Amino acid sequence: MRVSLKWLKDLVDVTMPVEDLCDRLDMTGTKVEAVHALGAMLEGVVIGRVLTKEQHPDADKLSYCSVDIGAAEPLKIVCGATNFEAGDRVPVACVGATLPGGLTIKRARLRGLESQGMMCSPTELGVGGDASGLLILPSTAPVGASYAEYAGLADTVLELEVTPNRPDCLSMLGVAREVAAVIGADFETPSGSPSESGEPASGAVRVVIADADLCSRYTARVIRGVKIGPSPDWLVERISAAGTRPVNNVVDVTNYVMYELGQPLHAFDLGKLATADGAATITVRPAAPGETIRTLDGQDRGLAGDTLLICDGSGPVALAGVMGGESTEVSDDTADILLESACFDPRSISRTSRRLGLISESSLRFERGVDPDLAARASDRAAALIAEVAGGVVAPGIVDAYPGEKPLPELTLRVDRVNTILGTALASADVVALLEPLGLGVVAADGALRVTVPSFRPDLEREIDLVEEVARLHGLENITSTRPGGRERIGGRTPSQRTRARIAATLRAAGLDEHIGYSFGDPADLARLSWDLASDETLVELINPMSEEQAVMRWTLVPSLLRAVSYNQRRGVPDVHLYEMGTAFLTAQGRKQPKERLMLAGALTGSWSRPGWNSPGGILDFFDGKGVLETVMEALHADRWQVRESVRGWLQPGRSADVIVAGDVVGWLGEAAPDVLDAFQVTGPVVLFEISVAALLKAAARASILYRDVPRFPAVTLDIALVVDEAVTAERVTSALRSAGGNLLESVRLFDVYRDAPGAPGDARRLPVGKKSLAFSLVYRAPDRTLADEDVRPAYDKLVRKVCGAVNGEVRS
Amino acid sequence: MTIIDDLRALETEALAAVEAASTSEALEATRVGYLGKKGSLTAILRGLGALSHEERPEVGRVSNEVRTAVESALEAKKAALDGAAREGRIAAEAVDVTLPGRRWPVGRQHVLHEIVDEIVEIFAGLGYQIAEGPEIELDYYNFTALNHPPDHPARALQDTFYVRDLSGDRAVVEGESDVLLRTHTSPVQVHVMEAQKPPIYVLAPGKVYRRDVADPSHLPQFTQIEGLVVDEGITFGDLKGTLEHFVHQMFGPERRVRLRPHFFPFTEPSAEVDVSCAICGGEGCRSCGGEGWLEILGCGMVDPNVFGHVGIDPERYTGFAFGMGAERIAGLKYGVPDLRLFVEGDTRFMHQF
Repeated sequence: MRVSLKWLKDLVDVTMPVEDLCDRLDMTGTKVEAVHALGAMLEGVVIGRVLTKEQHPDADKLSYCSVDIGAAEPLKIVCGATNFEAGDRVPVACVGATLPGGLTIKRARLRGLESQGMMCSPTELGVGGDASGLLILPSTAPVGASYAEYAGLADTVLELEVTPNRPDCLSMLGVAREVAAVIGADFETPSGSPSESGEPASGAVRVVIADADLCSRYTARVIRGVKIGPSPDWLVERISAAGTRPVNNVVDVTNYVMYELGQPLHAFDLGKLATADGAATITVRPAAPGETIRTLDGQDRGLAGDTLLICDGSGPVALAGVMGGESTEVSDDTADILLESACFDPRSISRTSRRLGLISESSLRFERGVDPDLAARASDRAAALIAEVAGGVVAPGIVDAYPGEKPLPELTLRVDRVNTILGTALASADVVALLEPLGLGVVAADGALRVTVPSFRPDLEREIDLVEEVARLHGLENITSTRPGGRERIGGRTPSQRTRARIAATLRAAGLDEHIGYSFGDPADLARLSWDLASDETLVELINPMSEEQAVMRWTLVPSLLRAVSYNQRRGVPDVHLYEMGTAFLTAQGRKQPKERLMLAGALTGSWSRPGWNSPGGILDFFDGKGVLETVMEALHADRWQVRESVRGWLQPGRSADVIVAGDVVGWLGEAAPDVLDAFQVTGPVVLFEISVAALLKAAARASILYRDVPRFPAVTLDIALVVDEAVTAERVTSALRSAGGNLLESVRLFDVYRDAPGAPGDARRLPVGKKSLAFSLVYRAPDRTLADEDVRPAYDKLVRKVCGAVNGEVRS
Repeated sequence: MTIIDDLRALETEALAAVEAASTSEALEATRVGYLGKKGSLTAILRGLGALSHEERPEVGRVSNEVRTAVESALEAKKAALDGAAREGRIAAEAVDVTLPGRRWPVGRQHVLHEIVDEIVEIFAGLGYQIAEGPEIELDYYNFTALNHPPDHPARALQDTFYVRDLSGDRAVVEGESDVLLRTHTSPVQVHVMEAQKPPIYVLAPGKVYRRDVADPSHLPQFTQIEGLVVDEGITFGDLKGTLEHFVHQMFGPERRVRLRPHFFPFTEPSAEVDVSCAICGGEGCRSCGGEGWLEILGCGMVDPNVFGHVGIDPERYTGFAFGMGAERIAGLKYGVPDLRLFVEGDTRFMHQF
């Protein structure tokens, strides 16, 4: 809402500086979003009187003038205009002034003579179209005064943020009432009654309201014999300050009254409305199927069934509360006016306005709610103004259909309730003093207050609404700060939240940065990843996505990470280690809300760090990813997990594994397949993993940890190298070693894998073809004594026999 | 020459040899030469048994003296040689300490989660539990139970993301679905109040979604932190004091806080909260747009209608709620000029925090 300070001051007695007024409004709930100084562009433009006008000695078309601007010395000005004489009063832009066109006035030499300012044309001042000569002012114009002030151009416009609960503040009247209440001043309600004569309006107009829920009131006035033309300056100025362009005197008055009182009005050309028996019948009804209307802007609009229409005998003539129709528009030859002032249902107007994409000053006000009591008063005010600015005769009477009339609501406000909610100690009289200036009727009764709510405050429906009024007028800054006691409260994170924090901290300690990507997903990523959804899985589709690339909710975090990797690589950052913990979404036929699963995913590429003078900076591969997972599992004390070679469309075969916890596949890891690297414009290798956080939390065994004795006796360490077929996995050999080890075997650690170089000549081969050698370090320890080699030997020999049999291997000598 | 003279001569010779030895190896050879199994001093000492009773005490004494003298000379020389060797090794091992160390990359937490964690710590310290809720919500939890009227504009398709409902239900309120991406973390309030009796002190951080085109000051996805307190005797003063404590913890004790009355459907009275500008301290400067104040959150007393939806008696209990955006706070704290930096994953950006 744009509020002209000049206009406001006509209605309410504001004496404080603008900044103080803005602060007061801010602190009582009407935020001042901006303050515009109109006429500020004309700072430095003053009224001058031309003392002398001489021919410039060196230029035929220039004159050399002496101009009194009320200063000690007159200014010397070189001027190119010819339409003035000595003695004329003109606007003078002094040195330093910046004109609306952006021109800043400087001291200048024109053909050898110094010019100390510029006399201005209306165009140069931005106040009119005449560029042919200077703006000659009346001889009464005070020399030396600010031109903007003299011309009434100086005004301050406050841009107010009006919250949706305060429709009353979408008018000067409402703002004036609010300002008066918050600064403790008096205000004046603008009103006006037209002098009426001629045939009564009731003879020319009948009003039928089909549905009182959609239109609680409709009034019509008739004004005959108007002369359409431009509005007077004061009217143009006011509606321009409010933000509307002038159209003609009748339309401008309807807009003026809308800004002034908050009642949207519409003027029909009465002569263009269909009549029967000399009278037009206005029917307010919902649209019938297939109906159309051509609106003021020349658009033909198809109407949905609940669009509220204003109709005459022939059909729709306006979209109620939104926009008038072209066929009954006021035009230059309009003589008789039907002035509509009505109250329509906010929801209906809001639906129509949104559906048609038509948002007008009128629809904005009806959407928020217009005071039904205002309709007749606004109509009177507008009719009187139309008669004033456009001539014409106001027909006696107002045709007023008011099926929705209701008594004013009465609320009970308990003062102790106010204090309970606010933490204040206000007395009953304090509360009354705060509420009454808002226009509320307040009467003390039975320890409480009976509050009569005026019709312009539809937001005040409950006791709590009144508590809010007390709070904001008392001032939130005057409420003492305290903190809750709350003796039964327990705070902190849940075990799951703490474990998640531990997982994230471990990943960061392992060198991974946290990424947060969009939760949206691109359905085309299914193909890019060769990702097959299970038969009972469906992507979560957005009905109104922002783009094709964000048309669904992500079902995996992988694309988010791959895109971040690509983003970094394209900007010359080769080493990227990312993790993300976020929700993956999937749904299924028959489901309402999708399934949300918290996932942990990672992407590693490049090196851990650039090669240094003392560190090699190797390229990250599968085992770096696996190492990260192992580190996380160790931090969680999760030891019952394993990986198993697997095939996943988006991973390179042979470098792809499932993560298994307690027999369930809960995630995967591997290197991105070459097709995926291409599709996401990423340079490989990129190691990826994704694992269900719920599974990690389940695997975390921290809660079940029990103390075990720290080893007190030394161990015996024996190494063994086993030659096995290539197909035999390390996991198989390790578990064979563990199960054959006996109770003295404490740990098994793989420390070397040897293969002959591919294609090595026979004499350089150390293993049979198709074999590899796995070397393990076996640690034997007894809890109660120091072991000697001889103690371990029998167990070791047994282990060798069993393991060689189990994995079809032999000990490498 | 007596045997004693021989011993004394040998002593002189041995001491000179010890003195002359310049390496540990030479010193060891000297030791073996005199005191080894076949050493010359050893040979004399072995011959003592053949001496007469008269000679034996005197020769024994001298020979012990000689042996002790040689042994201590050996020891001293060994210590000297070892010390020199160690010093040599230390000198050889000296490094340029300004060379870079061998280091492991430091992973960084995302700045938004760092902000969230900081806020969580502050409120956990005030006895709040941390609550979470689904990101895909029903209209009921996102709007209806939070006292949004059926025609509230936030429900519009141009503002809120809707998700295809596969259950076959018809949307009750608007359009073809009443399943949506939550537009704020406030639905968590409703879930908590449904599940738990007062006293309730919870903080609910999470992702929220609104249909905005990503630009420097908007993202279609952002991070909110919601707070809810429901207990007996909770006042607006409690809300004010709590938020002042939060601002002082988060931004510093010198920052001032002001609450401006505002409107939200699910709280009443409601307020927006400003913190005084760090640059100008409230005077107004370019960084705060001349206002002196920066808006950081919205808050208010829980509306009785919200209590009505979850069956909490508003006459017995009162409460307050507040909500803030992590992006906004990170932006204010660190001066991040473009919100899109938060979702692009540029590690050079991430490592700044």
